[in-house]
Amino acid sequence: MAVEADPWHTLVAELLDRSHLWRPEDLGGVLDRAAAPLGLRMTVWVADAEQRSLRALAVPGRATPAPLPIDSHAAGSAFAMVESVVADGRRWVPMVNGTDRIGVLEVEAPGQTARDESLARPCETLAGLVGHLITTSLPRGDSLHLARRSGPMTAGAELLWQLLPPLTVSVADFTVAAVLEPAYDVGGDAFDYTVDGRRPQFIVLDAAGRGLRAGLAAAVALSCIRATRRSGGDLPAQARAADGELLRQFPDARFVTAVLAELDLDTGVLRYLNAGHPPPLVLRAGAVVETLTDGRRLPLGIADPRASCGEVTLRPGDRLVLYTDGVTEARDAAGEQFGQNRLADTVERHAVGLPVPETLRRLSHTILAHQSGPPTDDLTLLLVEWSAGAARRTVPPTSRADERQE
Amino acid sequence: MNPDILSVTIQDPGDGIRVLSVAGEIDHDSVDVLRDAVEQALADGRDRLVADLSAVPFCDSGGLSLFVETHRRTTARGGWLRLAGPQAPVRFTLNVSHLDAYLNVHPTLDEALAPPS
Repeated sequence: MAVEADPWHTLVAELLDRSHLWRPEDLGGVLDRAAAPLGLRMTVWVADAEQRSLRALAVPGRATPAPLPIDSHAAGSAFAMVESVVADGRRWVPMVNGTDRIGVLEVEAPGQTARDESLARPCETLAGLVGHLITTSLPRGDSLHLARRSGPMTAGAELLWQLLPPLTVSVADFTVAAVLEPAYDVGGDAFDYTVDGRRPQFIVLDAAGRGLRAGLAAAVALSCIRATRRSGGDLPAQARAADGELLRQFPDARFVTAVLAELDLDTGVLRYLNAGHPPPLVLRAGAVVETLTDGRRLPLGIADPRASCGEVTLRPGDRLVLYTDGVTEARDAAGEQFGQNRLADTVERHAVGLPVPETLRRLSHTILAHQSGPPTDDLTLLLVEWSAGAARRTVPPTSRADERQE
Repeated sequence: MNPDILSVTIQDPGDGIRVLSVAGEIDHDSVDVLRDAVEQALADGRDRLVADLSAVPFCDSGGLSLFVETHRRTTARGGWLRLAGPQAPVRFTLNVSHLDAYLNVHPTLDEALAPPS
């Protein structure tokens, strides 16, 4: 007996079949045509690097709409909150790659009702697939890169973004998210993480100097840390590997400040090494409960063989903030620095009920608004939360429900 | 941001020492003024250097890099670099970067010239 093909399956099959040979700029049109048999019109919107606007991918035969502001549009709410939003007769569906926010899928249903909740599940599943396809199609060319930019990018920023993992990753009870500014002109700041097993590691680093040369130093440090980590080296060994190679590659004594940390998800024990970097903060119930001042060593690039890790025990639900000095030293017109206290207050103000990456997006925009004139230094923030609730909030709603049933 | 706002005056008090008195903010752009003064000192055969920072309200990682590099170069020649009289913001920067555990920092110029043994 013949099995009738599900129309959503046909759509997915069409999309995957076409993806083998497509050019990056074909994605928007292929999806819209594949959705037509369902009586739906679809537009893919991707967030720009500074996470202020959503920008539409082109669909042949249709005018490309103007960018939409994330802070004041229904599409922006869907992106920010990782929630499906129905407004003005259309459905805005959060589009993630895993848990990394890529943008939003717009679904119009002429002749049906977009409010129809039976659309929620298939639309979110499809948006998740499109989020993956955008991520895997990016390296094919420049057009998807350009679609995610509102302006030109410096060579230093091109180098750095190639090195970095996605801005957000979550596993069952752990979420880490990062943000880097200025997005189109970052120089020597970088971050990295792993979420293998029960001991995720995460780092933030800041290479002395600016521009491409600082980016090269960040690349050397990051690559040494990864190579050592992947061959089983602990945090001090990772730092020592970076010391040696920075000295060989940069005889002019370029150093890199960094925090390297590892959280045991079964015990809450956080081990960390601080190589000349501002101290991480532990936030609990709206207050800074610890400033992590142990585990100090000299910046990477200056050997400090006696260095050993600091240790603190976190509680479930604690948030950990790692940041570079560009955050706390951002100065307003009167010369006043943003400072550590304002940083902690602002994290908490933007933390309740928001996905971790959204807390960071709003925090970084608050710091940039504080700063008078263009940033004189890179600013990087990394926010870690040890809770299942935080992880769930980074996942689209219908997949979230599945997680709960397990 | 403006290199014109950084100035370095030079003094040779004897004993092979050169004092570089720095005035202004040291950042990635202005640091070259100080770098030139260091190069000149080394070219003049001076490898005992004191950087008087008492008139420096701000120093970023560009300045710190130059201190680390100069410390290494002078030490390699049997000399030294001493930082003298850093004010609170620069002391804070040296402390956060932990470089106050690596560089020779003295509270005043007098102590940098004749450190208590």
